[in-house]
Amino acid sequence: MADKRITIRAARFDPEKDKAPHLQSYDIPFSDDSMVVLDALNYIKAHVDGSLSYRWSCRMGICGSCGMTVNGTPKLTCSAFLRDYWPRPVTVAPLTNFPVVRDLVVDMEDFMQKLKSVKPWIIRKREMPLGAGEHRQTMDQIDDFRQFSQCINCMLCYAACPVYGLDNKFLGPAAIALARRYNLDSRDQGTKIRLPVLAQADGVWECSFVGECSVVCPKGVDPAKAIQQTKLDTTLRFTLPYGNRE
Amino acid sequence: MSAEADSTAHVATRVYKPAMGAGWWTRKRHYFLYMVREFTALPMAAWLLWFLIEIQRSGSVRTFRPGTSTAFVIFSFICLLFALYHSITFLSLAGVIIHAKVLDRPVPPRAIVLTMFGLWFVASIVIGAVLIGFGR
Repeated sequence: MADKRITIRAARFDPEKDKAPHLQSYDIPFSDDSMVVLDALNYIKAHVDGSLSYRWSCRMGICGSCGMTVNGTPKLTCSAFLRDYWPRPVTVAPLTNFPVVRDLVVDMEDFMQKLKSVKPWIIRKREMPLGAGEHRQTMDQIDDFRQFSQCINCMLCYAACPVYGLDNKFLGPAAIALARRYNLDSRDQGTKIRLPVLAQADGVWECSFVGECSVVCPKGVDPAKAIQQTKLDTTLRFTLPYGNRE
Repeated sequence: MSAEADSTAHVATRVYKPAMGAGWWTRKRHYFLYMVREFTALPMAAWLLWFLIEIQRSGSVRTFRPGTSTAFVIFSFICLLFALYHSITFLSLAGVIIHAKVLDRPVPPRAIVLTMFGLWFVASIVIGAVLIGFGR
């Protein structure tokens, strides 16, 4: 078991020297069947090449920092087991559709702006003082949005979305899923404020339902479902009498 | 990956912007099936045009008989397969898209899909009956 080895081909890009990323191979020990791709990258950084750059934090699929392209598929590297690839080499590249800053690190600014634009927080027409009590919800009301609240902003859905890849003006899956999450929340009164962003040309109507965002989502959020439901919702609000009544 | 370095990005250092190649849809089976689904619109549009030409050739709608051109019958059969593929994949997704409640309880996605297929069946019978009725 101790002699088992695996080849990791990591994308390298130095903005000071390189015009484009290139792959660099590392042959490392694969000592434990529970090793994940992130463990392999950490081994390379600690023992082989300290200059390899990548993002990571929690190592347990919660923070959403370690999203990369593993053998062509966007994945959280902390939950991509090497045993699923061995003895073939594992190619690790940055998330597709995003500008690469260095090695496996991408520029997240575009996503952050889009996320902010849908106001993913509870909006009230009039804030009540804390002493006025809680905004209670039934289990059924929580179930309405629970699935969409699981999003960890890992951006795998953006990397898998060809619509975003072809035109990055598209608002994108995660931002729409989070907007849907708050629109479905019984405590929220901000649907009308979010609608202009969601219903604009680069909003939900840009999506042609490829569905790959939901396939790669590590938390089962199903952003494609959120987008299609928002399309239906915006249509009904536009066509039905009193559709926009809150 | 095709190269395009952008020095005008908001970050201080130069970044690499990957561009999607024209063959992106061949990379994954899911992407390919999506393209097939979208492509089904083209043969159906071609069928409609051919249908109108066949009617014009026969002189009028009253004298048109669909079985006179073997090529048109074969093409119609192929288009039927495309139409069925499009309809079945579309209606199967109804359970995902429609978020309905009856008596404050969410309707199960399977019930929505079955309702959609039922409505499709009824609509097909009604349209078929209307067309046959007008044809007589």
